[in-house]
Amino acid sequence: MKKLLLTISLIFGITTASYAVTNIVGSVESRCTVNTDTAGTYGNPNAYTLTTLPASSGQVPIVRFDVSLADAYFAQISYPTSFSTSPSLGDSVTWTGAVAVVQTSSSSMSGYQAASTTPTASMRQYALTVAGTTWFSATSVATYGGGQNKAFPSGSYTAVVVAECIAQ
Amino acid sequence: MYGHTWGMTTPILGVTTEEGMDISGVIYNYLPVKEEADDFTVTVQNEKVGGGYIFQDTEDWSGGIGVRIQKVVPLAYIPIELFGDGSITTTGTGSVEDATVLYMYRWDECRNPQNNENCAGYVPPLPVIPKIEIYDALDDEFVESATKETDKDLIVEKEEEKNNDEEEEEKERLEIALAAVENALTIANTVSQASVVRAMNIATNINSYYVAQIQGGAYTETISLEGGKIVDNRKVLRSLGQDNLMNQMIEEQYK
Repeated sequence: MKKLLLTISLIFGITTASYAVTNIVGSVESRCTVNTDTAGTYGNPNAYTLTTLPASSGQVPIVRFDVSLADAYFAQISYPTSFSTSPSLGDSVTWTGAVAVVQTSSSSMSGYQAASTTPTASMRQYALTVAGTTWFSATSVATYGGGQNKAFPSGSYTAVVVAECIAQ
Repeated sequence: MYGHTWGMTTPILGVTTEEGMDISGVIYNYLPVKEEADDFTVTVQNEKVGGGYIFQDTEDWSGGIGVRIQKVVPLAYIPIELFGDGSITTTGTGSVEDATVLYMYRWDECRNPQNNENCAGYVPPLPVIPKIEIYDALDDEFVESATKETDKDLIVEKEEEKNNDEEEEEKERLEIALAAVENALTIANTVSQASVVRAMNIATNINSYYVAQIQGGAYTETISLEGGKIVDNRKVLRSLGQDNLMNQMIEEQYK
């Protein structure tokens, strides 16, 4: 009988023990932001070419990177290699393009272009070693016909420039 | 911006630069043109009124390629009155092309209450009183010239009149002098006559006239008032009443 009572008291002792759960909350604000500074436009200087060059009535897209922490991020920008929207295309499209630094907020960033790398043919990566703002341009030229210079089908064409801020 | 130096004036900034404007930052943009190996620095700055600079921001492009730069220089709401000329200066080999400098500002309209009649402390300005020049014809040289006497006969007559006046004044002075001499002689004669009379009186001895005596007695009081009472003279009272009425009548005419 004592044992039983003890057992019961033990059970009570376990069930009345108190405890608490405390949350730790934190938020991280990005120290790198990417924004479109100038939207791009394709010009159509001839039937088989779409280009962003201003000489062909195009507009080169410009993206802006702002970093508040030096040596913490890469700017990675790719020029397009396909249309995101377009009429049905029966032939291949040849893509060319270039990514370049067009404007900086400090003369210390003037070496960004020379120090950049090309992980892929259409991608260029920049080490953002200085806090501040950098503007990048991405030119794009699309030629239709697989070298045969065929006319693009009429319609609306859209391509995408991908700009990313990647932590080092 | 004209060249690489500019003044902080309304035509340059495009807004009215009055008391109450504070500059809170500067955004500049330019393209440095240079060879990669050349040393080249570019400074954007604004002088400060009274000496020194409000800000100086220098970019060193030495050993690098020229890339278009856009930069923000934050400032702590500095009054426009303190801003002197702005400029972009360079050192080394290279040039600056296609430069733009923008000023960010805020406007406190009521810092000077006179900027707006709705501001506290606004004092209506006094109207400008026009200065009226009074024309005095007598000071007009043309009037003086026109009224100047040119007849020689008139000038001679005037001179004669002047001479006559002087002669008359001379005569008057002479008459006054002679009259003074005559008066002196008259006084002297009076004195001499008195002395003659006194001498005659001494000679005739008229003292007997002064010592004559009149015979007479004392005049005594003969009227006496015995008992009774003194009664006012009613005639006199009536007469005084009439005088009062007369006085009233006289005063009536002055009211």
